[in-house]
Amino acid sequence: MSVAVRGVTHRYRHTGGDAALRGINVDAAPGRITAVLGPNAAGKSTLLRCVIGALTPTAGCVLIDGTPASELDAGTLARRIAYVPQRPLVAAAFTVREVVELGRYALPASRRRIDLAMEQLQLQGIADRPFPLLSVGQQQRVTLARAVAQLSSGGHLLLDEPASAMDLYHAHTCAALLRRLADEGATVVIAMHDLTAAASMADECWLLRDGRLVAAGPTSEVMDIQRLQEVFGVEFEWVRRPGGDSVLIAGSP
Amino acid sequence: MNGAGRRHLRGLLILVCLATVAAVLRIVIDRDPEGHIALAWPKPEYAWLRWTALAVGATVGSSLATSGVLLQALLRNPLASPAILGITTGAALGVMTAMYVGHVTGMDSAWTSTSVTPALAGALAVMGVVYVLSQRRGRLDPVSLVLVGVIVSAVCGALIMLLQHLVPSGLHGEILRWMMGRIPEATPAMSLAVAGAMAASGIVIATSMGRAMDAATLGDDEARSVGLSLGALRIWLFLLAGALTAGAVALCGPIGFVGLIAPHAARLLLGPHHTPLVPAAALAGIILVVGSDVARQVIDLGAGRMPIGIFTALIGGPAFIWLLLTGRGQA
Repeated sequence: MSVAVRGVTHRYRHTGGDAALRGINVDAAPGRITAVLGPNAAGKSTLLRCVIGALTPTAGCVLIDGTPASELDAGTLARRIAYVPQRPLVAAAFTVREVVELGRYALPASRRRIDLAMEQLQLQGIADRPFPLLSVGQQQRVTLARAVAQLSSGGHLLLDEPASAMDLYHAHTCAALLRRLADEGATVVIAMHDLTAAASMADECWLLRDGRLVAAGPTSEVMDIQRLQEVFGVEFEWVRRPGGDSVLIAGSP
Repeated sequence: MNGAGRRHLRGLLILVCLATVAAVLRIVIDRDPEGHIALAWPKPEYAWLRWTALAVGATVGSSLATSGVLLQALLRNPLASPAILGITTGAALGVMTAMYVGHVTGMDSAWTSTSVTPALAGALAVMGVVYVLSQRRGRLDPVSLVLVGVIVSAVCGALIMLLQHLVPSGLHGEILRWMMGRIPEATPAMSLAVAGAMAASGIVIATSMGRAMDAATLGDDEARSVGLSLGALRIWLFLLAGALTAGAVALCGPIGFVGLIAPHAARLLLGPHHTPLVPAAALAGIILVVGSDVARQVIDLGAGRMPIGIFTALIGGPAFIWLLLTGRGQA
């Protein structure tokens, strides 16, 4: 049970042939949180979209539990992969609960799974509010709850900047939930810009720049200060806190 | 039954009652040659005229309203309507072309303005052009669909004006009346049967796609990730909306605003779930069209019965502005 990316190259037609991804080879394992890191336009979102089947790679393939993603129909993919997009969108006045229920579209209805997902994202208090009237941070929590309600046992959860608009409290709650899901056997792959958060929560990292894989492996190895400075053009520093653990601090260019 | 279920049932009951009232009024309202209005069951010799008008109004209202729901789901835009994709003007161009050919060849022009065939041909031709030109990366793109639809609609409008310019002035009146929309009391049985069958089957198919349309309100990637075959759904919605619109235009000419306003009226009563929304919008469309037909029986400005398109536009125009100003059109 894993996500394997094999030699994936992808070109958008409108970019005049420049590859957004170039020969990417990476693996995401169950029970682990993998952070996908890189500057803007590094190819993070494109890589996630190739994995969920929204984009067909120009070359290479994505294997979901050993089967090429291109051979899986939409329903089968939905039973194996849940996805949280960068920008939540629901073009109708569905309530929070009704949006979470959409996660079970291709799966048997489960009131218990819906209730649990809403409880985990602390949405019970706004269950009847229309989704379009929520703040972006709240919409991100609802979208994550929708994906959690969809996630099957041993499934894969892919997230694209899922907490970018959340307040600190809910961002921490979200991170704790992702850790719990990984501990229960889910494969969690999360594209993010917050390197401090990535350093504290990710077991593995994929570091991308200009569509190329710069490094992949355990977080402590990939998040080398020198390498991060080269990729992001910003100074970094590991700071040891009184409790004994270290946090990554970004400085100025 | 939960709260949403009770809301759906209550909304549908209200719409059924209102549609029944409109239908009964269409049958019993009688205006004598002096213009006096009375409520009376029609005499048998002309009762079928009223039943025909009622059947036409119900078919057209439900078709346009259902088409509106489908297009609003397809485009993720609650202000979309059948006219926006050029289908209405395409069907109208088909009829205008048939009228012109009839005039040139000396064929019976009455056939051209009452047959479903020219309207269907025009609508299908426009749908084909719009569909091909709206492909992006091998998929039907909603934004391109609107842009191409608006342009194709404008081109069809220009061609309609050209045909109007070419026909003799004696035919202008017939064309103008057709373009303003009408509810005929006599129409070929085959045309009514075809359009009626299309409306009934279209409503059933659209209702069965309700859950898929709910999922399609999510963003493209998200909708696919929950298991929706978005490309196939969009093709079905596009074809079904086009067929329903063509059938309606063939019967009554281009009647505006029904496909825009009826879905919103239903949505205000029942909420956004598409499974109950489709039949509710169909009922709202029947109420709007048959109700407008009743109004034109009652209101006499001394120049005969007014075209029904005037009433639907006078109701739909202000309602559209209200939707924009109150923000209810956003969701």
